[in-house]
Amino acid sequence: MIEVNSLRKRFKQVHAVDGVSFSARDGAITGLLGHNGAGKSTSLRILYGLLTADSGSAVIDGVDVMREPQWAQENIGVMTDAHGLYPRLTAREHIEYFAKLRKLSTDTIVERTEQLIAQLAMEEIADRRAEGYSQGERMKVCLARSLIHNPQNIIMDEPTNGLDVMTTRSVRTILQQLKTQNKCILLSSHIMQEISALCDEVIVISEGKVLMQGSLDELLARTGESDLEEAFMTMTRASR
Amino acid sequence: MSIWFVITKKELLDAIRDRRALMALLLFPALGPFVIYFMFNTIVDIAEEAKDLTLPIVGAQYAPDLVDFLAQSGIKLAPVDATYPTPSNDHVAAPYVYPAHLLANIREKIADRTYDFVLLIPPDFTTRLGKSSSVNIELFHESSRATAQAKMSRVQQTISAWNQETASLRLMARGISPTIARPVSIERVDVASPQARAQRILGMIPFFIIVAAFVCGMGIAVDATAGERERKSLEPLLVNPIQRSSIVVGKWMAAATFSTLGLLLVMILNLFALNLVPLEQLGLSFSINLTEIIGILIITLPLAFFATALQLFVGIFAKSFKDAQAYLSVISMLPMAPLFYNIFNTEDRELWMSLVPMLGQHMLLADVVAGKNPPLFDFAVAALSVVLFSLVFIYGATLVFKRERIIFS
Repeated sequence: MIEVNSLRKRFKQVHAVDGVSFSARDGAITGLLGHNGAGKSTSLRILYGLLTADSGSAVIDGVDVMREPQWAQENIGVMTDAHGLYPRLTAREHIEYFAKLRKLSTDTIVERTEQLIAQLAMEEIADRRAEGYSQGERMKVCLARSLIHNPQNIIMDEPTNGLDVMTTRSVRTILQQLKTQNKCILLSSHIMQEISALCDEVIVISEGKVLMQGSLDELLARTGESDLEEAFMTMTRASR
Repeated sequence: MSIWFVITKKELLDAIRDRRALMALLLFPALGPFVIYFMFNTIVDIAEEAKDLTLPIVGAQYAPDLVDFLAQSGIKLAPVDATYPTPSNDHVAAPYVYPAHLLANIREKIADRTYDFVLLIPPDFTTRLGKSSSVNIELFHESSRATAQAKMSRVQQTISAWNQETASLRLMARGISPTIARPVSIERVDVASPQARAQRILGMIPFFIIVAAFVCGMGIAVDATAGERERKSLEPLLVNPIQRSSIVVGKWMAAATFSTLGLLLVMILNLFALNLVPLEQLGLSFSINLTEIIGILIITLPLAFFATALQLFVGIFAKSFKDAQAYLSVISMLPMAPLFYNIFNTEDRELWMSLVPMLGQHMLLADVVAGKNPPLFDFAVAALSVVLFSLVFIYGATLVFKRERIIFS
C-alpha cells in the first residue's frame, strides 16, 4: 500500500511536484500517467528515498518514507528509469550482487535467482556478461534484481519504455502475476496504450499536479470521452 | 558478511575482468625497476669502459716517449696502419699537413663506429720536440657519443700530464724551477663519481613507490565513481537499503587493494632489478634485509589508502570517465611535489614536513634507501597525518554521495 500526501519538491525555480496526492492499493496495478516532465519520476524518487520532499509525506505500508528510509527501501522493489548494468558482470552476478546487498541468505539467493531467471526466460543470458545485451535483456536483468527480495510494493519508472513487443508482453505477464500475489504495483508511463492495457487504477499527472485518480472507466465517464488518450487531452486542456 | 565487503568483492571482480585496470596495475610497477636497471647498467658500463681504455693511434712510431707514457698510465694502444710522407727536416717552421685521404679515412672510421676517437701524431713530432718547439697532435672524436666522454677525458688528462712533465724537464734543463711556469696548480675533485650518480638513482625508488600507490588504484577509483554515473548504474545501486558510507568504504577498500598490490609489486620488482645490477663494481653495497622491506611497506601502506581516498573523492564529482581522467591526471602529478621539494631543499627535516602527506613518507623512504633508520616519531606523525587526511576525504565522499545533484545527473 502506497500513499502520497501533498508532496512538494522544487528544483531551483521549477516546481517539479506541486502538491501531489495519490494512493496505490495492494492487489492492483496503478499507473502514473503524464507527459515527460510532468513530475512522475520526481514523485517516484521521493517514494524510493533518493529525493527528499520539501513538504508533504510519502507512506509505504503505514511507514513514512522520510522518517524510515531504510525500512521503506527494504519493503519496496524499485526499477529506476536508469537501467545501468556492469558490463563485465553476468546477469546472474548482477542479481546476486543486489541480493547480497539486501542481506538475503545464501539459500534464498540461489532459490530466488533461479526462479526469476526461469520466470523472465533469461536462461540464455544468465551466465553471459552484460556487455552487448539488447535493451530487452538489460530490462530483464533490472527487473530481476529489483524483485530479488520478493517485495510487497513494486515501483517502476517507465518499465516498458523502449522494449520490443515480445519483451513488453512478458513484462506485462509478470506484472499480472505479481498482482495476483496481492502485491502493490505502481508504475509510471507516458504511453496511453500501456496504461490502458495494464492498469486497474490511473493517476493523471501534469505540471506537478494530480488532475484525476480513478479506474479507467471512471476517468472516461468523468471526462465523457471514449478512450484514454482523448480523456487525457481533455483533462490537461482543462487544467490550463 | 558486511555490506562494504560485498561491494569490495564486486568491485574487485569487476576490476580483475577489466583489462585497462589490470594493465595499469601490472605495467606501471614494472616501469620503475626497468628504468633503474638500465640507468645503473649505463653507469656501470661507462665506469668500466673508462678503466679499460684502448686508444687508436696513428703514427705511434713517431712519438715513442708519449706512447710509453700512455702505456704506463694503463691505456692500451691500438696502432692504426697508415703511412704518410715524412717531411724533410728543414720544413719544421710550418705545421705538418696531413694528406687529405688519411683525414677522410679517419673521419669515416669514426662515423661508422669502428672507433670512438683517434689520436693523430705528426711525423715531425720528435724533431720538433728536440728543438723545444711545440707540436700539434690531433684527437679526432665525436662529441655526441655520450659513452665515449669518460674515455676521452681520460686520454686528455693523460696527455696533459705528459705535457706538464715534458715542460718541467725543459725548464729544469735550463736551470729554472718548474714551479715558476706554474703559479697555480688546480686539483680537480670530481663530485659526480659513479657512486654519487648511483646513489641518486637509488633515490628515485621512493618516488616510484609513491607514484605506484596513485596509479594502481586509479582504475577502480574512476570506475566506481564516475563510471557508475556514466553507465547509469548509480541510481539502481542507491535504491538498496544500505548506508552511503558502506558504499564509499566498500569502493575505497577495493581501490586500496589494487593500490597495495601495486606497491608490493614495485617493491618486489625493484629488489629484483637491484639484484641484477652489478652494484659492487661501483663500490656500492645495497643490501636490503627483511626488516627494511617491512619498514618500507609500513611507511608506504597508508599511502595506498590516502591516494585512493583522494581519487574517490575527486572521482565522484566527475560525470564521465573522461572528466575523471582529466581531474585525476592532475592529482597523479602530486607525488612529484615532494620529490622536487627534496631536490631543491636540503635543510633538515621539520615537523610540518612530516605532516604533509607524501612529503613525510618520501623523507622516511629516502632514509631507508640510504641505509639510515628513520626516526620513529616522524614515522608516527607522517602515518597519522595520512590516515587523517584519508578519513576526511572518505567522509567528504560520503557527503557528496548524498547530494541529489550527484545522483541524478
